[in-house]
Amino acid sequence: MRANPDARGLLQIAASTFRADVLPHVAPEARFAALMVANALEIAERELKGLDTAGHSMLAALALLYGEDADDGLSGDDLRKRVEALQHRLCIEIAAGDFDQEGQDVLMDSLEAIVQARLGISNPKALGQQ
Amino acid sequence: MHVVKASDQSTPSLLSGDNRVRLENWLAAQAGASRVVVTEDGRLGGGAISLNLAVTLDIDGGPLAGRHACVLRAEGGGRISASIGKLREFVVLRAAFAGGVSAPEPLFACDDPAVLGHDFYIMRRAEGLGAGHAVTRSEAAQPELARELGRQLGLLHRITPETEGLERLGDAPECPAQETLAQYRRWFGDLGRRDPVIAWGLRWMEVNAPLPGAVVLCHRDFRTGNYLVKDGALTAILDWEFAGFSDPMEDLGWFCARSWRFRRPDREAGGIADRADFYAGYEETSGRRVDPLRVAYWETAAYLRWAAIAVEQGLRHSSGAEPSLELALTGRMLPEIEMDMLRHLRSIGGMATGAVEKVA
Repeated sequence: MRANPDARGLLQIAASTFRADVLPHVAPEARFAALMVANALEIAERELKGLDTAGHSMLAALALLYGEDADDGLSGDDLRKRVEALQHRLCIEIAAGDFDQEGQDVLMDSLEAIVQARLGISNPKALGQQ
Repeated sequence: MHVVKASDQSTPSLLSGDNRVRLENWLAAQAGASRVVVTEDGRLGGGAISLNLAVTLDIDGGPLAGRHACVLRAEGGGRISASIGKLREFVVLRAAFAGGVSAPEPLFACDDPAVLGHDFYIMRRAEGLGAGHAVTRSEAAQPELARELGRQLGLLHRITPETEGLERLGDAPECPAQETLAQYRRWFGDLGRRDPVIAWGLRWMEVNAPLPGAVVLCHRDFRTGNYLVKDGALTAILDWEFAGFSDPMEDLGWFCARSWRFRRPDREAGGIADRADFYAGYEETSGRRVDPLRVAYWETAAYLRWAAIAVEQGLRHSSGAEPSLELALTGRMLPEIEMDMLRHLRSIGGMATGAVEKVA
């Protein structure tokens, strides 16, 4: 049974209300803490909304290296476990030196796409920087 | 260190009750004074790890008689792996100050838990603006500031492991790159087998590790945000709690890392100027040339170090040891730090770093 609005809906409206109606009136000595609160609410909101999307982006990124293991049909815990398993496999291969000589371009593309997917949740503003 | 914040009324002050009296008596004995009065001027920022308290000392009698604006820096609740402890920090500060580095003059250090319960030391208080966003706000580049920071780092790097008084810091590493890598592996632990970006960074460091060269006293957190500026000029270099012996190029790589450029990622020397300005100042005083390939190696190391610290800060919160929104959000900075590392690796072109002699 799901209440309406759900957690995601509540966080969304709490975050936007906090930024629009509370933050401008916060005393200077509390401003840093208030900005952190706004930031944390927004990260949580993006995570609730976009975790599966990020998971699929990471799976697609790993598919650059392991095409046969990508699966668009996964969601939730199954998706998370698949991403974790492939990331673990990649870590082992990296540590074993499999990318020391060749394959670095594909690896770098894959790693960048993985990080971009996570940045989309934790700090989308950092995506555009150089 | 730069922002005086209103004291948090819910936290009992380090100097409340008997603590102040004990501190005053202890200081009087240390200073050879007839009496010392300590006035608390508020908590200072920059205290994610240490506790920084602005204090004024009124000293009657003895060689330090007079009024002194100071900072009392105490061990905070959450010392992290990279920290060296307050007494070692004091020793480092003393060596740096004696070597002519613009560091706050260290005055007293105490390891007697009967005084305040924690190790602490007292240094003179420097004036100026420290916050990275404020320092990098200037429309025009600040080449003279970058050059001066280079000169200061050069002076620091003239201090070697043989320098008297630094025994407390322990032995100098035989191969800074390999010892750093081993330390990072310990810090990351299991994450190096779960996060392929960290795994790649560690592998890159292993394959590209440079042969050992000079080993000097490094600040290890020498960056925009950890020095004070007044009217555009440097007044003090702060936050010595990670100092140790290492490859001098480690400090240059850390200073230039993207993580500390704040508003100006295009200004590669700490968000304030070009690398050339910073490097030129360094070469004026250090007695050595900057090795850009080694700096690039240590810049990769810088991202991994910052990533390890961020992860540890996040865990301090998540473990329940020290619930804090600031620590929690630091933990969530990992992807940003990793992206900076990948941008750096792209910019220097993959595994082969060229002419530097390697261990592997």
